[in-house]
Amino acid sequence: MNEAIVNVDARGLEPPQPMVVILETLSELPECAELHARTDRRPLHLYPLLEQRGFTGETEEQNDGSFITIIRRA
Amino acid sequence: MADVHAPSVSLPLGFILTGIAALLVGASWLTARPINLAGYHYGPEVVAATHLFVLGWICSVIMGTMYQLVPVALETRLHSERLARWHFGLHLVGFVGMVMMFLVWDMKQVGHFGSVLATGVGLFVYNLARTLARIPRWNVVAIGIASSLGWLSLTILAGLYLAAAKCWSFSPFEPMAQMHAHAHLGGLGFFVMMIVSVSFKLVPMFTLSEVQNHRRAGGSLALLNAGLAGLFVTILLSSPWKLVFASVIATGLAFYGWEVIAILQARKRRNRDWGMRYFLTALALLIPVSGLGIVLAWPRLPATELTAQLESVYGLLAFIGVVTLAILGMLYKVVPFLVWYASYSKAIGRSKVPALADLYSPALQAVGYWLFLVGLAFTSVATALGHESCVRAGCALLLASVTVFIVNIGTVLSHLVRPRLMPLDFKSTQPTNTQPPS
Repeated sequence: MNEAIVNVDARGLEPPQPMVVILETLSELPECAELHARTDRRPLHLYPLLEQRGFTGETEEQNDGSFITIIRRA
Repeated sequence: MADVHAPSVSLPLGFILTGIAALLVGASWLTARPINLAGYHYGPEVVAATHLFVLGWICSVIMGTMYQLVPVALETRLHSERLARWHFGLHLVGFVGMVMMFLVWDMKQVGHFGSVLATGVGLFVYNLARTLARIPRWNVVAIGIASSLGWLSLTILAGLYLAAAKCWSFSPFEPMAQMHAHAHLGGLGFFVMMIVSVSFKLVPMFTLSEVQNHRRAGGSLALLNAGLAGLFVTILLSSPWKLVFASVIATGLAFYGWEVIAILQARKRRNRDWGMRYFLTALALLIPVSGLGIVLAWPRLPATELTAQLESVYGLLAFIGVVTLAILGMLYKVVPFLVWYASYSKAIGRSKVPALADLYSPALQAVGYWLFLVGLAFTSVATALGHESCVRAGCALLLASVTVFIVNIGTVLSHLVRPRLMPLDFKSTQPTNTQPPS
């Protein structure tokens, strides 16, 4: 299935703003899209909130030291 | 989903609120009984008050915060939240009992309550050691935290040894030397080492920067560790070599300061909030503390009344100046985040949630900051001169600063019981004090 990708760049924000930006974007995410969120740090506090909202998140560190979390519906 | 998460907010908040209560009692105590600072510093009441500050205030807050920060800073999960809750109970019984028994100078009971506290510390060290064992990769933060846990363990063992030596008089070491060695293990090894370590994570996080030179950061930790090992032995043996090791520690702190300045120079967020100002001012106070420490480590320094008072100033500047101010600064970051996360994180995207900076008053932060600095300066000078009524005035300013802090933190905590949620389409007419990163 070819899913749409919504990208969010939450780098350069002080905690907890990255989490706010990601969850606000997630609340408007189209049904078959996935969210790619780029952050300065691994978003540890985000994972339980994703789970509560029926999403899963996988985070990978990038070569530049930032992190991309791929968020999909569970 | 990554195998990572922070513990529930009630665990760190329990430790932190206990610590704040101890700080309020301690500041009130010094204001009511200024002779504790104006007079000689080795007596039951001074030892009791000191342990109220170091165990009740500083240890409670650092330990509670560590349960929250270590998993987040090192990207792993806390080994056991259940053990941490047992630790909280043991810590509470242990430090309250110790302070009360120091007051009546019942060293046998101090040893008993100290053993309860030590059991709790054992659980804390074990829990964090198991947490550190599963981190994906070691860095300066992890090495520093591991070092501080080692020094904490030694501090507790040294404390139990001191209590036992008072009961059975078997120790070959001079009593004041033992006490000073024990105090340096705890103050430098646990408190300063922990502040230095976590600041390599928190200062970049809150200023939007990075550690600039990992070798310099690691070098500062190595010098602190080597210097403290030597200082402990040389203080215990009353050796003139303690000046050398005090200088090694001062060099380590200079490397640390150099790295912090480099981190700040590379920051993307130019405006500094009050929490960071508190913390950075505390770090600046390491300069007079180190200078005074070197003076007091000078070989054949005459044991005069002034020297004894300067030792009290040294302890005051270290525990109330550096450590307390650093903790107040970090609490202005940690507590609002914990409360905000508990009250509002589930509502993001569903309701309009306040910004983190809307939870507290920057004006009260500023008032508390200046009251604290003026109070500290006043108390330090009055302590050096042994002037009782001026010590009381200085401590009253510190108490006023603590009260302002408690009012501000109370405002933050009120969001736990009465969250301020608005509908998503609500247009606020009130200006907020949110400051976007520049």
